[in-house]
Amino acid sequence: MNNNRRLKQAEPYLWMLPSILLMAVMIVIPIITVFRLSMSEISRANIVKGFNNFENFKEVLSSPTFWHTLQNTLVWTVVVVGFSTIIGFVLALVLNQNFRGRKFVRAVVVFPWATSLIIQSVIWKYIISADYGSLNVILKKLGLIDSFVNWTNSAAAFFAWECWVGVFVTIPFVTFCVLSGLQSIDTSYYEAAEMDGATFWHRLFKITLPLVRPSLTVSTVLNIIYVFNSFPIIWTISKGDPADKTHTLVTYLYKLSFYSGKSGQAAAVSVIGFIILSICAGIYMVLSLKGEEADQ
Amino acid sequence: MKRALAMLLALVMVLALAACGGNNTPPAQNNTPSQSDSTPSTPDPAPAPSEEKVTLNVIISQYGNYTQDWWPTFEKDFEDTYNNIDLNVEIVSWNDLYTVVGTRIGTQQAPDILNIDTFADYVADDLLVPAEKYTSAELKAKLIPSFWTANELDGTVWALPILASCRAMFCNMDLLNEAGITAPPTTWAEVDAACQAIKDKFGDSIVPWGLDISTDEGQAAFAYYTWNNGGGFVDANGDWALNSPQNAEAMTYIKSLIDNGYCNANPYTDTRYPLQDAFNAGSQAMMIGACNMMSADSEVNYVVADLPTQTGKPVSMGVCDRLMVFDSSITASKNADEAARLDAVSKFFDFFYDTNRYSEYMVYEGFLPVTTDSSELLAKNAEQFVVGGPDKAPGNSEYFSNFSSILLSCDFYPSSRAEWIDVKQGVIEAEQRICQGEDAQAVLDEIQGRIAG
Repeated sequence: MNNNRRLKQAEPYLWMLPSILLMAVMIVIPIITVFRLSMSEISRANIVKGFNNFENFKEVLSSPTFWHTLQNTLVWTVVVVGFSTIIGFVLALVLNQNFRGRKFVRAVVVFPWATSLIIQSVIWKYIISADYGSLNVILKKLGLIDSFVNWTNSAAAFFAWECWVGVFVTIPFVTFCVLSGLQSIDTSYYEAAEMDGATFWHRLFKITLPLVRPSLTVSTVLNIIYVFNSFPIIWTISKGDPADKTHTLVTYLYKLSFYSGKSGQAAAVSVIGFIILSICAGIYMVLSLKGEEADQ
Repeated sequence: MKRALAMLLALVMVLALAACGGNNTPPAQNNTPSQSDSTPSTPDPAPAPSEEKVTLNVIISQYGNYTQDWWPTFEKDFEDTYNNIDLNVEIVSWNDLYTVVGTRIGTQQAPDILNIDTFADYVADDLLVPAEKYTSAELKAKLIPSFWTANELDGTVWALPILASCRAMFCNMDLLNEAGITAPPTTWAEVDAACQAIKDKFGDSIVPWGLDISTDEGQAAFAYYTWNNGGGFVDANGDWALNSPQNAEAMTYIKSLIDNGYCNANPYTDTRYPLQDAFNAGSQAMMIGACNMMSADSEVNYVVADLPTQTGKPVSMGVCDRLMVFDSSITASKNADEAARLDAVSKFFDFFYDTNRYSEYMVYEGFLPVTTDSSELLAKNAEQFVVGGPDKAPGNSEYFSNFSSILLSCDFYPSSRAEWIDVKQGVIEAEQRICQGEDAQAVLDEIQGRIAG
């Protein structure tokens, strides 16, 4: 009898054990390893030589490239998440309406999301190529330009295009998160509002936005994490060039590790990125808990 | 019953997960006492190899689209000849090579034999076996002496040359002739004149000059232009001299190619591969490229010429990749007997550098041989071998004869020096910053100060 009770008490923990072990192996151990490496001297051949305190952090923080990269990362995250959220939200509102071919349009919107980021980045790289890109060819054939335009003639132009590709590939994710939220709203709210003479904007701000907020919050938080850590777009299009001016933290640490042979510094950059994201996640948790308390 | 089954399933999952991490024992603890005695530093003569089967893991760089088709036959032939050696050849693209090798070394899963370009960083960590320990007298005798000594660091040779290539200027003569240029340019002024003529004649449809100052191989452009302006990476004493006035002048010239619209629009991100494709397709008039850059199906009427120079004496660039052997303490193969492993390595190299087999591989990949016997054979009769690819085109003796002689007068990167990676990244950064508008001398002074102190 006693044994049965003990087994019953232990059962939930036993069920959780595989997940906990999985998280430990796949998440906790790598995080600890990166922290350890960030405070280790690592040779160019990738051999850990021993503890070197905060030397890697000092080196990283004294580099102007790091600060420029950090600034890029913030701009990249804000622009991509911001624009994709606004456009995705509007698109979700449109796709929530009843019209002919709605299913087809929904399928089309999914395409950018379903295609590999690398493939999309390569395609965009060829579209905007000044020498052979289809954008120039089409514009010239339409008579809109006389000669080919170099769309990426500066680091800022490169980065702007990368942000656009980031927005383009992120829109479907936001659209479908918001769409799922929209579909869960009871239509009787809108009917009642209409009876009371509410305009489109009243309905949007007083019904839709408050009720879709949980979906929007989840998509925004996940987006911040995905976009902040996104590697393929920038690496495929510019590899952080020209002159390391288009890096984000992730591409910068990759170059430090695998092109410059500075794995210790790369781990330090990784830790800095982790801390920034942890702060963002922490703020989100606090705000969510406060929201829950307010609801109660 | 269902609950019991589910719990059993959960238990199995836990055990399976635990088993996944079961192979983390450090290699030193796996060694038997006899293994720990047999390190690569064992003095000659080596003890007699055991009869136990030896595993050799080899990483070969992907040199072309068909590299992976040649090596399986080699692997099979080798294993048929040596039954006691299990050879595993892995082909890795140059894009992934440094990532793969760095990760393998970091996790003590290095290959026994690695094909890569530099070795100084591995020597610094005592990861390599000196070449004298596995190179047979016959093989050493037939390697071109300058390529053998090019792998020397602190008086020890650490690697074997696998193949070489050299760079030259390629000109599409149909385009040049149509633009009124009758001969390949020999100076920078002539390059400018030819580019302007192409631009005037063809407008946007033809790119006059291919330029690659990308992260991938921007250091090659630095070499092409500085060497041919009397500068370079080092001075006459062998000290780093990245900020010489000749180098600053060369960088300014590269910038002028971009500013005048003479080259591809994005030399910061265009590697040499899209440039080669454009030249092969006939949409780019000139470029400096590797000797084997022309594809078999290209219909371009081209000539190969010396690099344009400001000094009157054109300097070309040679590239030589290497094969090196890792210390058994860091390899994934974990062979029990080091003497047997080195014996197998030695057999591998003798088999690979066999005159016919090695010549066949050189024709297949289009690279230049580093052995005297294959150089002689291919200069006379490369036609008996075929170039890699579906067309199975025969080799070209003239190609090997011409480029092998150019190779002997080429300059090479100072890549056996420990600072090379910093220098390489530094000059690429300098090129890109200068071409973005920063002052050439100031940027090069900064890079020189950072590297040479």
